[in-house]
Amino acid sequence: MKLAELQMRFQAGIVKGDNAILASIVDSRRTDRATLFAVYHDAYRMRLAEFLSHDFPVLRVHLGEEAFGRLVEDYMSAPSRQPNARWYGTRLPDFMQEMAPWRRNRSAIDLARFERALSDAFDAPDAPISTIDALRDIRAEDWPRLAFEFHPSLRLLDLAGGTAQIYAALAQEEKPLVIRQGEEAILFWRNDGQSFYRPVAEDERLALLEARRDKPFGDICALLAFQNNGDDVTWRVAGFLAQWFADGLVTRLSISD
Amino acid sequence: MEKPAPLGFGLGLRPVYYQEILEKSPRVDWFEVISENFMVPGGRPLAMLERIRGTYPIVMHGVSMSIASTAPLDFDYLRALKSLAGRFQPEWISDHLCWTGVHGVNLHDLLPVPYTSEALDHIVDRIRRVQDFLGRRLAIENVSSYVTFTESEMDEWTFIRETAERADCWLLLDVNNVFVSSFNHGFDQASFIDAIPADRVVQLHLAGHSEAVTHKIDTHDQPICEDVWSLYHEVCPRFGSISTMIERDDNFPPFDELMAELDRARATAACARTPAHEAAA
Repeated sequence: MKLAELQMRFQAGIVKGDNAILASIVDSRRTDRATLFAVYHDAYRMRLAEFLSHDFPVLRVHLGEEAFGRLVEDYMSAPSRQPNARWYGTRLPDFMQEMAPWRRNRSAIDLARFERALSDAFDAPDAPISTIDALRDIRAEDWPRLAFEFHPSLRLLDLAGGTAQIYAALAQEEKPLVIRQGEEAILFWRNDGQSFYRPVAEDERLALLEARRDKPFGDICALLAFQNNGDDVTWRVAGFLAQWFADGLVTRLSISD
Repeated sequence: MEKPAPLGFGLGLRPVYYQEILEKSPRVDWFEVISENFMVPGGRPLAMLERIRGTYPIVMHGVSMSIASTAPLDFDYLRALKSLAGRFQPEWISDHLCWTGVHGVNLHDLLPVPYTSEALDHIVDRIRRVQDFLGRRLAIENVSSYVTFTESEMDEWTFIRETAERADCWLLLDVNNVFVSSFNHGFDQASFIDAIPADRVVQLHLAGHSEAVTHKIDTHDQPICEDVWSLYHEVCPRFGSISTMIERDDNFPPFDELMAELDRARATAACARTPAHEAAA
């Protein structure tokens, strides 16, 4: 048998449980070929389950061993196409969103998205962060045109209300809460090698979304003022800005044209 | 053909030990890193490796090259590997004599090859192409295996020797894998060791494995067993002063236990290389 055919059968034996490969394997002195081939078949499943358990430890606690095991089995029905195990679970939140019965479980889907965002922030590209001292060089007349660049690890997700609290409770082995009505915006980022998250209020969420779309400080203030019946929100936005620097989110300032 | 200078006695660099390594600068001569663990855009893994590389030599050891696969070579992977090597300047790059999947699938395992002339030609060609692309020789490692193919036309050790000589690559001899495979397939360890061209072996691996009554499994989650220590003692004279490292990938013990194993490897190598009459004196 040609090498390509043998490898195709071997792979089908591992992924689909096809027995055709057994014709190419000999019994050992101590055991039969099926037992020996099962080492590869079983290790494949254990390894993929380990990858998902490593990347989604809180989701595993949330679902319980039995349901998490079913999720792993369902997800495994499509084999890994990633040379690096690090990315194997990337599609899990989308998979849950698309597939019954998982698509009905909003809290589980959003916990998966939460943990995925923490992982993505963890090894996102590096970039030097800017300190608030950089604002000293900005002339007063340039402030309205002040634009921001953010750290590549930044993620801003809209999740079911209470997801962050559920995550925190489960991560500390406390009794989990239930999801609330409505949504919450959670900000994820990395600073000094560690992933962080915090909830952001609706006006900060809007400011962040606009700033990431290259909208300058003046435009952001105008938008938020409009949303607040024309009140002056400059100091509120300045407060967001100070927090972004403190978190290590800002990498560069520029004056837009 | 001049081999890289021996590095001494090393350990696998694993995240669970980063802090201890940075704080205590342990007496480890070098670290082997799993290449794929650092093929990420940024963050802590790369920052840690940057710091540790400042103090220790490193070797890059991959698990996804899939050199024996009939799928096309993955040049995205090879570009990332080359870029990582350019940044961290490893003493050498190694991977396994195995395949990891076909048709775009990755089974995340070190899968066995039939020892046929067709497989040999195929693998030799691919190693040569990878070496040309990377601009350096690869070190290729023997894997633990659990099945014997009816298609095989030669012994594993003949296959490895032919691969190394025809591809002009280095070899990484995993002593534990020789032990595990010899148990699983019932071959004589000495036949394997004696057939391996010593002038091509740049590194030895030591590791623990799991027992499954009728077979042994290469799990790297146990201390090195006495049988593997004994085999290591036997192989040392054949390979002289050679870079040796201990792999541990699960069930991680306190770092001191790995250091104790490393000290034992040093002592075993020193004892094995001392002629009997000198040892007695």
